[in-house]
Amino acid sequence: MIRFDQVSKRYPTGQEALSGLSFHVEPGEMVFVTGHSGAGKSTLLKLLAMIERPTRGSVTVDGRNLATARASAIPRLRRKLGMVFQDHRLLMDRTVFANVELPLVIAGIAPAERARRVRAALEKVGLLAYEKQAPALLSTGEQQRVGIARAIVAKPPLIIADEPTGNLDPRLAAEIMGLFDQFQKIGTTVLVASHDLMLIKRTRKRVLVLDHGRLVDDVPATEVMA
Amino acid sequence: MARAQREPGTARTRPRRVAVWGEQHAWGFIASLRRLTGRPLSTLLTVTVMGFALALPLTFALLLGNLQRLGSALGQTQAISVFMQTDGHASDAKALADKLRGRDEVDAVDVRTPKQGMAELATMQGFSDALKSLDYNPLPYVVVIRPVAHIDAGQAAKLIAWLRTQPGVDQVQDDGAWRQRLDALLAVGTRAVLLLAVLLAIAALLVVGNSVRLDIQGRSDEIAVLRLVGASPAFVRRPYVYAGLWYGLAGGVVATLLTLLLEWALAAPVARLAASYGGRLDFGGLPWGLLALVPVLAAALGWLGARLVCARQLRRPG
Repeated sequence: MIRFDQVSKRYPTGQEALSGLSFHVEPGEMVFVTGHSGAGKSTLLKLLAMIERPTRGSVTVDGRNLATARASAIPRLRRKLGMVFQDHRLLMDRTVFANVELPLVIAGIAPAERARRVRAALEKVGLLAYEKQAPALLSTGEQQRVGIARAIVAKPPLIIADEPTGNLDPRLAAEIMGLFDQFQKIGTTVLVASHDLMLIKRTRKRVLVLDHGRLVDDVPATEVMA
Repeated sequence: MARAQREPGTARTRPRRVAVWGEQHAWGFIASLRRLTGRPLSTLLTVTVMGFALALPLTFALLLGNLQRLGSALGQTQAISVFMQTDGHASDAKALADKLRGRDEVDAVDVRTPKQGMAELATMQGFSDALKSLDYNPLPYVVVIRPVAHIDAGQAAKLIAWLRTQPGVDQVQDDGAWRQRLDALLAVGTRAVLLLAVLLAIAALLVVGNSVRLDIQGRSDEIAVLRLVGASPAFVRRPYVYAGLWYGLAGGVVATLLTLLLEWALAAPVARLAASYGGRLDFGGLPWGLLALVPVLAAALGWLGARLVCARQLRRPG
């Protein structure tokens, strides 16, 4: 599903965020990317989201090299990707329903099908009762779940999440991880960047450890100790 | 990424493609209205500034149009009066009249005798008593010439110069000279109004552009979210382009209403002024077609301003 091949990323400031990074993620796999601040987790996700392009090497998702994708192809490629952010990035002047519906409007899904899918996604994250509310009236954990509903509503084959539990207490963090676990079980590939080692250990999934932009460890799920 | 089997609601038949186009435009349309109504004071200020900017050339056009009407109305009495020498003979006046009838620039010629002149003066208030005290008629023969319509200043000057060389002519008075000066002034005014309209249209374009630019800057987070969930550049741009269209349309409506208000406010005083001179002059408004076109053109201007700003501000693809 995801293949990084000798990927390096140097920012115009001269900072080398990733250096010769190579790894492979199978379809339907859930993988954590961890490392201390500045290790390159966010840059890795930015390359997958096509916010940045690698300086060297190739980033391949489902057989398509993102490094060489034309700018005009980026919106279409992003529609096949669900993104979850630490700060939720919700549109605060829209309802919960409208936020979750947005990727479907962009993808051109028919209104009846949109409504059905939005409600299904909200039900999955336990927020169906809040569909008409403004996101600002929800708690941080609930806002994060709205963000997750928005990421899964278009049924993308790949979900990437940047510190999705960063602002949540352990109970809510475990809840969110439970949701990702469910998505993985139905065949979605999930890549989560997190520095919460306790959570990573509890979830028991494959872990990629980054340090100064290099992959220093690749721990299989079976070897992750609780 | 591999092409998956189509799911319900995603089939892209031709009618569905049209429907998607409509739904996405509706999204941008509603989003733009939400933004404008969400900042009522800022929207009102932008619309008012635009309305006044567009009303200004319309007002000048209105005033110029009425000056032209006034000139045309008074221009119908345009004439050149040739006063013959007081000791001259009727034959001199008649000979001159015959020569004039053969000229291309002359439409009609009328010879007025001293007796007719005296009778005309007698009808004027304040003159009758003075005329009674005269023991002879001091008035000369007068040849009144009505030039052809649209005679230009050069032709009129040549005709007057020729008249001054004719035997028995004492004085030539060109009653239409003021009209030619007015026409020249109106031509300058029309050009000035056109230039002003272009300058103020550019100003309106900049006003809309700046409002849309500020809106884009204030919504950079939302734009980033839209891009990250796969919105095309057109989808991201649409609410701002619609906002520009609304600014223009509303500004055009304000300009039209201001012009109508001005017309209404000036109509009665102008009628009173005309009446005080014993005449009748209706204050003419701008054509309804033009007034209806103003909001449409202003909307196009707003659209263009927003489109130009979006092209610059939303260029970054990330």
